[in-house]
Amino acid sequence: MALLEVRNLVKHFPVRGGLLNRVQGSVHAVNGVSFDIKRGETLGVVGESGCGKSTLGKTVIRLHEPTSGSIRLEGQDITSLGPREMMPFRRKMQIIFQDPYSSLNPRLTINGHIREAVRFHGVADAGSIDDCVDDILLKVGLRPEAKHKYPHEFSGGQRQRIGIARALSVRPELVVADEPVSALDVSIQAQVLNLLTDLKQEFGLTMMFISHDLKVIEHFCDRILVMYLGYVVEELHAEDLDEQARHPYTRALLGANPVDDPDERRPLTVLQGDVPSPYEPPSGCPFVTRCPLAMVRCRQEMPPLEPKEPDGHPAACWAVEPKSAPAD
Amino acid sequence: MIGRFLGSRGWRRFRRGRLAMASLAVIGVYFVAAVAVTLGAVSREDTKMRVGPNRLPGFLERINAEKRYDFNKWYVGELSGVFGRAQRAGDEAAAREMLGAFALAERRMSGAAPSELFPVYETMEKAWGELDDALAMREDLADERFVLRAEAAEQRASGADASATEARLREVEERLSEIRPRVEELYREVERAIEVLLPMPEGLRGLVYRLRIGLGTDSKGASISSQAVYSVKIAFQVGFVTALLAVLIGTILGASAAFFGGWVDHVVLWVVSTLSSIPYLVLMAVFVYVFQAPSLAKWFDNPDRPGLGLVPLYAAFGLTFWIGTCRVIRGEVMKIKELEYVQAATALGFGRFSILLRHIIPNTAHIMFINFSLLFIGAIKSEVILTFLGLGVKGQPSWGIMISHGADGVTNFFFWEVGAATVFMFVLVLAFNIVSDALQDAFDPKHV
Repeated sequence: MALLEVRNLVKHFPVRGGLLNRVQGSVHAVNGVSFDIKRGETLGVVGESGCGKSTLGKTVIRLHEPTSGSIRLEGQDITSLGPREMMPFRRKMQIIFQDPYSSLNPRLTINGHIREAVRFHGVADAGSIDDCVDDILLKVGLRPEAKHKYPHEFSGGQRQRIGIARALSVRPELVVADEPVSALDVSIQAQVLNLLTDLKQEFGLTMMFISHDLKVIEHFCDRILVMYLGYVVEELHAEDLDEQARHPYTRALLGANPVDDPDERRPLTVLQGDVPSPYEPPSGCPFVTRCPLAMVRCRQEMPPLEPKEPDGHPAACWAVEPKSAPAD
Repeated sequence: MIGRFLGSRGWRRFRRGRLAMASLAVIGVYFVAAVAVTLGAVSREDTKMRVGPNRLPGFLERINAEKRYDFNKWYVGELSGVFGRAQRAGDEAAAREMLGAFALAERRMSGAAPSELFPVYETMEKAWGELDDALAMREDLADERFVLRAEAAEQRASGADASATEARLREVEERLSEIRPRVEELYREVERAIEVLLPMPEGLRGLVYRLRIGLGTDSKGASISSQAVYSVKIAFQVGFVTALLAVLIGTILGASAAFFGGWVDHVVLWVVSTLSSIPYLVLMAVFVYVFQAPSLAKWFDNPDRPGLGLVPLYAAFGLTFWIGTCRVIRGEVMKIKELEYVQAATALGFGRFSILLRHIIPNTAHIMFINFSLLFIGAIKSEVILTFLGLGVKGQPSWGIMISHGADGVTNFFFWEVGAATVFMFVLVLAFNIVSDALQDAFDPKHV
C-alpha cells in the first residue's frame, strides 16, 4: 500500500470582485491530479512558475482546503478531517519552505521554533526535550549552542537547515519539500541537497520534492511528475527522464536545461509565449497554445494521461503514440 | 523582554540618534515630574493656594512702576486686613495666633511678638498713606507742568510776557524733582516693612517659594509653575491610559479582522470606515458629552470622586484613537498571516489562537510601539484642545485650562500663564515627535 494516495485532487481559488464582492470566477490551480507515493520513495514535481506545483504540495498536506478529490495517508482519508481529527496526521506530514527568510518567525529563537513543535506533539517527554532539540540541530549540521540565537543571526543556508530541523523534529512520515533549494546559492544548494539525501536515509523519509529545476529533480528523486497549468502532463521514472520523456512540454523543459559540455551543439526548442492564465485556461489540451506539435484535435479534446510507447509511462498528449495493448 | 529589547538592532540604531536620545531624556524628565506629582510633590491644593499678588510676572520680567504700586498695594491691603483683625482680637495670644496663621505658601508672617510687629505695621501704613499722597501730588504737579508748558509756549509765540508762567513752571519742576526721591524713599520704607512682616523664607523653603513664584501667578494669585507641573501628571495620565486603550482595542480588532476574515472583517471595517468619516474632534466631543448625561455625570463630574474625573476623556479618546492603529495592524496581520512561518505553524497543527498570539501579534509589536508613542502626544494635544473648549479636564489644573484662563491676560501683556502652559506642552510634544520619528526609522522592518 502506498503511503500517500491522491485521487483527482482539485484546488480552485475563488476570485471575488464587483460591487457585492461576489465570486466572479476561480483560478484553476490544481485540476484533477492523481498520484501515489510509496513509503521511502521520493516523488519530484516539476514545472514552471505558476503551474500549481506548490499549491499541489500545500493541498496535499491540507494547508489549503481541497476543492474536490481525495487524499489518503496510510490508507486513511484525510481530505475533510476537522482540525482536531487532523492532529495525529499533522505530525506525520511536514513541509520545508522555499524562502528561508519568511519561513522563520523573527521573534522566536531557534530553540523556540523547534521546542514548540517537539513539545506540542509529545515527541520527547518533558525531561528530554532539550536533548531532542540539540540532537536534531546536530543532525542538520548546526551547533546546538546556536539554538539561543534569533533567525536574523543566521545565513540563508543555515536558516534552511533550521527549517528542515523544524520539519523533521516531529519525526514525520511524509515531507513536502517546496523548492527547498531554489532560494539558495548554488554551492549551498549542493550542501542542502546532500543533507536532505542523508536525512532521507537516516529517517527513512518519504518525500514530495517540488522544484522547477530538472537537474535537481533528476538527481534527487525516484519518480517525476511534470505539471503544466494545474495538470499532470507526464509521469516517469527519474532515470528515464533524458531518454524516454515523450510529452512535448517535458522535452521543451529538457531542451532548456544547460548542458555541461561547451562543445556540444543541439537543436534548441524554445517555447513561444507565456503560460496561459489559470483563470481562463484554454479549451482542450492546456499546452495547446505553445505546443510545437499542436493539432486540431488538441484544441477540442483534453488528452488523457495514459501509457505511451515504448516503455508505457503515462503522458497526456494526442501527438504521442499510445502504447498498444500487448499482443499475446 | 526588556533585556532583549535593549539588545535589539532597532534599539541600537535608535541610540545612535543624538537628538532622539536628548528627546528621550526630556521625556524622562517629564516622566519623573509626573511620578513626583503623583507621589504628592505638588498637590491639588498647591495649585490653588495663593502665593502672591495676582498676575505676578515670573523670572526675567522687571516690575514697572505701575505694577510696583499695585503689588505693594496688594501686600499692604492683605496685611492691614490681618493686622486689623488681630487688633480687634484684643489679647496678645489671640493676636499672635491670628498673625501666625497668615501665610503665602512658604512665606509666613514673621515669628516676632505682635508687640514688635504692630509698630512696623503702623510705620508701613503711615508710609503707604504718605506714598499715596505723594503720588497724588506728583500726578497733580505733572498735570500742572503740562498745562504751564503749553501756556508758556503760547505766550512766547504771541509775544506776551511769559516770565510769570515760567517762574511758576520752574517752581513746579523743582517740587517734582523733590517728590521723586521722596516717592522712592517711601516705596523702600513700605517694602522694607513688608519684608520684615513677611520675610522671604530662607534655605530650602526659600527655594521652594521661589520656584512657586518663578513663573508668576495667575489671576487669583495661584502659582503658575505648580499648575504647569501638575498638568504634566494629567497629560501623562491621559496620554498613557488613552494610548494604551487605543492600541489595545486597535490591535485586538485589527488583528482579528485580518486573521479571521469573513463577517468579522466586514463588521470591523464597517465600524472603522464609519467612525473615520467623522472628524475626530467632533467625535471626541460627542463622546465627552455623553458622559455629561445626568445619570453619568453624578459619577464622573463629581468633586467627591476626583479620581473618576478623567474617565470621560479616557473613554472618548480610547474610542476615537483606535481607528488608525486598527487599520495599520489589520494590514500588517494580513501580510504576516500569509508568511511561511505561519503556514509552518499550521502544518504543525497549532490552533488558530495560539498562532495568532505566538506568531502574529508579536510581529506587530513594532507597530504597536510606534502607534503608542504617536497616540500619546495625540491624546495630550486633544486633551488640551477639549479642555480649552471647556469639555475636557475639570476641577484640576491642565494646560488647556491654563490657556483658556490666561487668554484674557494676554491682551494685558501678561503672557506667563499661557506661555508656561504652551512651552510645557510644546517641549513635551516636540520631544515625543522626535522620539516617535526616530522609533519609526529604527524599528521599521524594511530597514531591519
